[in-house]
Amino acid sequence: MSKKSDKKAKALSKKAQEKQKTILEMLKNHGAKIYDDLNSGQFPKFSIPSRSVSNIVYDKKLRQYILGNSTALRSSKNTSQLRSFTQLMWLAFFANRLTNEKKSSTLRDIYYSSQAFAIDFEDQAESDNIIVDLEAVTSRPREDFHIFPEERSSIFGDLNIEYTIPGYEGKKMNLSNHPDGYSIGPSLTTAELVDTSAEIVIAIEKGGLFTRFVEEQIDKKFKSIIINTGGQAPRSTRTLLKRLHDEMKLPVIILTDGDVYGEHIAMVIKSGSANAAHLRELTVPDAKWVGVWATDIEKYKLPTIPMTESDIKRCYDLQKDPRYLDGIWKKELEVFLRLKRKAELEAFSKYGLTNITDKYLPQKLELAKSL
Amino acid sequence: MASIKEKFNQISPSEFFYRNRDLAGFSNPSRSLYTAVREFVENGLDACDQKGIFPDIHLSIKAVDPEKPDPKPYILTVKDNGPGIESKHVPLAFGTVLYGSKFGLKQARGMFGLGATMAILYGQITTNKPVVVKSSTDGQIMEIFELLLDIQKNKPVILKHKNKEVSKKGLTVSICLEGDYSKAGSKIRDYVYQTSLITPYASITFDDPKGEKFHYSRMIKTMPKPPTIIRPHPYGTDVETIRRMIVDSQFEIPTIDDAMIEKVRKDLGLSKKNFSFTAIMDKAKKRWKTLSRQVRVVISLMSFLKMDFEKLNKIRIEDLDVPNNTLSYWDFGDSTSKTVELDPESPYYRQLTNTVQGETLTAFLTKKFQRVGPTTAVKFAKFAGFKPERRLGTMTNQELAHLSNSLQKFDEFMGPDSSCLAPLGAEPLEKGMRKFFDPDFLTVIQRAPSAYSGFPFIVEMGIAYGGEISTRGIKVYRFANRIPLLYDEGSDVVLKVINDIDWSRYKAKGDPPLVIVSHICSTRIPYKTAGKENVADRQEIERELKLAIQFMARKLSVFMNKRGQAEAAKKRANLYAKYIPLISQFCTELAGKKKEPNFQKILQEEKPIENE
Repeated sequence: MSKKSDKKAKALSKKAQEKQKTILEMLKNHGAKIYDDLNSGQFPKFSIPSRSVSNIVYDKKLRQYILGNSTALRSSKNTSQLRSFTQLMWLAFFANRLTNEKKSSTLRDIYYSSQAFAIDFEDQAESDNIIVDLEAVTSRPREDFHIFPEERSSIFGDLNIEYTIPGYEGKKMNLSNHPDGYSIGPSLTTAELVDTSAEIVIAIEKGGLFTRFVEEQIDKKFKSIIINTGGQAPRSTRTLLKRLHDEMKLPVIILTDGDVYGEHIAMVIKSGSANAAHLRELTVPDAKWVGVWATDIEKYKLPTIPMTESDIKRCYDLQKDPRYLDGIWKKELEVFLRLKRKAELEAFSKYGLTNITDKYLPQKLELAKSL
Repeated sequence: MASIKEKFNQISPSEFFYRNRDLAGFSNPSRSLYTAVREFVENGLDACDQKGIFPDIHLSIKAVDPEKPDPKPYILTVKDNGPGIESKHVPLAFGTVLYGSKFGLKQARGMFGLGATMAILYGQITTNKPVVVKSSTDGQIMEIFELLLDIQKNKPVILKHKNKEVSKKGLTVSICLEGDYSKAGSKIRDYVYQTSLITPYASITFDDPKGEKFHYSRMIKTMPKPPTIIRPHPYGTDVETIRRMIVDSQFEIPTIDDAMIEKVRKDLGLSKKNFSFTAIMDKAKKRWKTLSRQVRVVISLMSFLKMDFEKLNKIRIEDLDVPNNTLSYWDFGDSTSKTVELDPESPYYRQLTNTVQGETLTAFLTKKFQRVGPTTAVKFAKFAGFKPERRLGTMTNQELAHLSNSLQKFDEFMGPDSSCLAPLGAEPLEKGMRKFFDPDFLTVIQRAPSAYSGFPFIVEMGIAYGGEISTRGIKVYRFANRIPLLYDEGSDVVLKVINDIDWSRYKAKGDPPLVIVSHICSTRIPYKTAGKENVADRQEIERELKLAIQFMARKLSVFMNKRGQAEAAKKRANLYAKYIPLISQFCTELAGKKKEPNFQKILQEEKPIENE
């Protein structure tokens, strides 16, 4: 290990420690406020940004949905809020332990852990909702508190990382050593990104195509890092995409099925979802959706299947979204509605198994430069 | 005319009821047993009520042969501590149909005699056993009768009659009848239970055929005041009633026989010697003021006939034709019909015509109806377009119909007299309900008397909630003139009113443990059907019921609010006690403190105030 990289590793480790310190400090402050309220004979309360639909607005500058100014008061005196108040306090308490001890947990794990504390979550949906509350109060994503979703997407390509999780601190890894790809879990999300030879990130909606791309050595052919979003990209994957873009200065392109859901998968990576309007740092505003477009269906004469009624309804819903009011987003929606048909990524196999990698992808990569 | 009347008489009342026993509630062994119980128990209660005696009613039903399957003969005995029935009346009261003293207009449970006699009749035809009546009116001697009813002749047949020394007054009636207790049992037990609820001043015991004993002891020591008999109210009459009342008010021309002539002679103070026509007339003139109406009529007739007693004895008055001013009579002497002119100028003319034509309208109204004084009567006459002095006997059928209609329409009659009603009273009802249900909440109300179609009525109600009430949902006990109404609940006006109420508005949501007792007293309960189990929805009654329920429901709502607040405070305190310590525990670690904050202060403050 060279001296230079050792130094860098130390710097990275320090950065992670500082982040941990900030989080712990913030939690402590929240706790102290509640403590003081109780000690002075008052029912503790705090305010939380309202997550109601009327308070979710689109910020053109940030190019994502954000929460407006309205806040709600949560008081432990209000018996209808008392339970959720206690649940949130418990979650902060539990997140504090996780962060402090550098342990990871999942949404499901949180739900089960609560049972040891008589916190009465009725189901996981309720505990998930309290986790969103914690994010809203602290304006921090749950991953900062070491809470991760169950679902995993994966990554493959020439990228060196260095772990920060306990027991692996300083350990390095190159993400092109295993052809099945690497699952994007807590350790990868919190790892430091050291260096890469890649020049682009290709996010792809489906595991099948991800494997094909690895087999076809797309990483080498196009100097790329390939990421399987596994449908709608999980938060940790979006965070990783953002870091690859921001820290490694890599452009991000997105390949999805040729339908309205695919278009929206790309949009969420680019500008987030209304569900996560309380969080920043989850979007890659420069990411580019390169296909499969509705216009590609005609252009490449792709085999199609008819859109269902819910597909069509989804199109009309998205037309009301401010992000779909111009550019290719608007245009492609209109074409989908005109065609009333959709195509899968696999549709290209009509012209040969490697058609998508040999013909379509190069064209799209070229096109992406001009988008 | 006479021949039709005779044909009617060929069916005696007993036979009529025998043929129509279904109507009276004796259609099958199960129903008959229940009806018989009801009739006897109600007679016993009525007898005590009227004399202001606290009733002690003992009811017993025993199977003649307990091994036999139902339906089978039962011996039904009801014993009361009432005034008893005088020995000479017993055979007629229990051995004929339609004998009784309850035909006046006042509130009573049922018609005395009729129902009880029907039960006796039913027992006799199903088992051929006599009724046993034991009665003591003085508390020393008890008269014991065994009677059968001669259905064709409607006459009692006394099988046995003996005396016994006793120490208590009262009446015991025992019959043997075909019944079905396995089917009627629950109905009879319900009846006894509910009867004791509405007569809390009575003690009722029931020995059932299975050896079970039900005892409901006296709950209160006050008797409701007995009702008085009153005249009908103008609103409560129809043409037929008026026609019958007019017949009562008319004075018939007396039959002139030996006894009548003897009476006139005596009243005039005439010895046998002085009986010339002029002498009689002279004497009558002098004594006129002291003479009775009947005698005056005879004198008047004599004045026109110009006859003395001897001649008068040989004729029969046939017709008095007022419009033509003629009087015709049959002369037995020469067997011819003869006519004399009536001189309208004669001082006797008015006496005679008035008799035939009955009372004046104003006299009729003031004498025969309640709440009508001379002023109102004159006002009414004007309203109806009759002359106040118009004689009722001169009215045509059309005019009578107009009179009847006008009585309904005239709105200046005072409301009917409610002194003929005997409500239980708010306090006895409340005491009774409290002992019966032992509820957490209880309220009762007695509405002021009201009237529908001229029949006075009073609504009494009570609502009980919670406590020992174990039933879920609203349980309604309906009573009419202190009789429990057990069946046909669905179509009853009380149920209609209760169901129309939005109980959730009064904080009684879901299936509240709620009991409602409703008692309607009236001289005539407007039953929907002959079964007398459901009250029809007369607008006036519905209104009173509604006001009564709303009044009580508001009180219930206040109670429920208080209880709700206390419960909510308790619930809140429990929640705080559960969660605040947890919040304390979590924030202590979060804040990095060792000692937990003092959260006891807020728990103390939020402790609920104990409800009384």
